[in-house]
Amino acid sequence: MQTVIAILITLTLVGLNAFLYIRNKQTPVPEGCENLKPDCAACGIGDCALRSKFLEMKEEENGDH
Amino acid sequence: MNLFTLFISAMLINNIILSKFIGMCPFMGVSTSMDSAVGMGLAVIFVVFCASVLSYGLYYAILAPLHLEYMKLICFILVIAAFVQFVELFIKKNSPSLYKSLGIYLPLITTNCAVLYVALDNITQEYTLLETIVNSIGVPAGFMLMLCIFSTIRERLRGNDVPEAFQGNPIAFIIAAIMALAFSSLAGLV
Repeated sequence: MQTVIAILITLTLVGLNAFLYIRNKQTPVPEGCENLKPDCAACGIGDCALRSKFLEMKEEENGDH
Repeated sequence: MNLFTLFISAMLINNIILSKFIGMCPFMGVSTSMDSAVGMGLAVIFVVFCASVLSYGLYYAILAPLHLEYMKLICFILVIAAFVQFVELFIKKNSPSLYKSLGIYLPLITTNCAVLYVALDNITQEYTLLETIVNSIGVPAGFMLMLCIFSTIRERLRGNDVPEAFQGNPIAFIIAAIMALAFSSLAGLV
């Protein structure tokens, strides 16, 4: 019984996460916030959400020069 | 331990960055300017406080009575991730100005191990609800304090003639190590 409850709790939390993630993605970004640029030195952690944006920004800067 | 001592201990003596070396990613990444340090610090205080109280409630209301204590790690991770999604959604809908200043840091908070550390620490230390609240404010306040101090040092460093090999993160790590050394003198006060 305990195992079933444990699985149910996990599934509930995963479901809640998925629901909020989808709702979050569907919610439009407020006006003027479409291209927020990270003021971040990019510490080098590959899976950081900001790193890809930071690298794109750097590439754009290098392209301009 | 009274609440004031707990707060000072969480904020300064057992500072999460300088004594535990947790949350180093945003500490190095977002400490380049004072504005971003303050933004990130405020966002971390809010998220850590709410996520810790939620995790505390989940543990003592559901997991402990059902003898599912071993589930706390996975549950807390999911609670933190869900809460950050909710906060981002809420801010997007209700406060564009706040989203403009904090929105970029919210995904970074999800991967900030400091949030999980505080939630787990409250349970491990068997804090009461009041102690949990104080600890959940003190720890991120210490994080914000260090972030602000470090950002001002890094801002001043920009004007200095740092040898090429030490420019950027290397000199930042050396400064962090010296700060950790200084703060280690506070160890054992409480």
